Amino acid sequence: MKPHELTLVHIGTIIEEESLTLGQLCRACDTHADWVISLVEEGIIEPAGKDSHGWRFSSIHLLRVRSALRLQRDLGVNLAGIGLALDLMAELDLLRTQLNARRYVLEKKA
Amino acid sequence: MEYKDYYKIMALSREASQDEVKRAYRKLARKYHPDVSKETDAEAKFKELGEAYEVLKDPEKRAAYNELGTNWKSGQDFKPPPNWDEGFEFKGGGFTGGDAGDYSDFFEQLFGRAEFQSTHAGERHGAHPRGQDSHAKIHIDLEDSYHGATRTISLSTPEMTAQGQVQVKHRSLNVKIPKGIKPGQHIKLAGQGNPSMGNGLAGDLFLEIALNTHPLYRVAESDVYLDLPVTPWEAALGAKIIVPTPEGSVDLKIPANSKQGSKLRLTGRGLPTKIPGDFYIILQIVLPPADTEQAKAVYQHMQKTLDFNPRQSMGGLIP
Repeated sequence: MKPHELTLVHIGTIIEEESLTLGQLCRACDTHADWVISLVEEGIIEPAGKDSHGWRFSSIHLLRVRSALRLQRDLGVNLAGIGLALDLMAELDLLRTQLNARRYVLEKKA
Repeated sequence: MEYKDYYKIMALSREASQDEVKRAYRKLARKYHPDVSKETDAEAKFKELGEAYEVLKDPEKRAAYNELGTNWKSGQDFKPPPNWDEGFEFKGGGFTGGDAGDYSDFFEQLFGRAEFQSTHAGERHGAHPRGQDSHAKIHIDLEDSYHGATRTISLSTPEMTAQGQVQVKHRSLNVKIPKGIKPGQHIKLAGQGNPSMGNGLAGDLFLEIALNTHPLYRVAESDVYLDLPVTPWEAALGAKIIVPTPEGSVDLKIPANSKQGSKLRLTGRGLPTKIPGDFYIILQIVLPPADTEQAKAVYQHMQKTLDFNPRQSMGGLIP
């Protein structure tokens, strides 16, 4: 490792603020626009914007598309199944978060 | 190099049919899929499973693997016997799917390394193939989101050597964590993804933010929660208490007659996101133990003087 690499600090952009275009999202997920469009048509991801040229995607879409790709590749899940799995997983996440916020300190010690 | 028992990983007998191999894979893949499973080692188990399936689903590879014999134990130091693969037809790169770069040394020794897919990328991106975007997760502390920070992340990037072989290169990157970032958000670092295989630009790196568990605070979205232990008299009579927050201590006034689990809110003191979250203090009333004569006397005094029945709503069953 070169010494200058350690001192250099990289400043990135937060995705929430600089939303991704369809092309950028496809590149980030290494997938085709057709497939992302079918995810939108299935209601699995809901980007801001009217048509595919104006669509803007955020962090949550990035996570969902990558998750969808893995579900399809690893488990052979079809589009409807992907939608169902992602929604159930999101609900599970929400419940876990709520549970975590309500868990008492006394229970944690026990 | 460690021997891998692919049958054990898939919980199969060596006589299992190809259909049984497929069924076992489907079942275990659902169990250990990192998107679905919350088991801590799910990702490692899933990779191991993918590797085992890669070998056992292919009759040729499976036969070659079986040829190694049954005397090996999982994790045992392993060297392939000379010429064991004679007569089998898998040339360098026995990969058909999955994240090929993740397979073990054991697999690579037996079945060769992945062939790099540079032609594939070249077809898609034209004459100046841009490097692929890459992804990583970075765990930060709650305080990092409150104040901003610089964190170092270790990355492994596949690179092609002059001989056309794939080599994993390790590097460290110092990354600025902007104030107000929250879990699930991504930071995009332009040009820090995989290098181009031609003379094109490098890809971008997407860093997903995750929070380390904090001993005091819990986070839900942008809101931060603190359990605050209080005495019964502080809750009953009201009190002024010094409370820790990630931004330093604050004086908190507890109203009289506060109940167990009461939530007090400090508006805008949660994560400093675009719309700042709130800071919640949840009162946890802790009873002093009745372990001295004095303490017992206090409880006995309450018993005699207070007309209090917490089971009123159950029909007032006494005692």
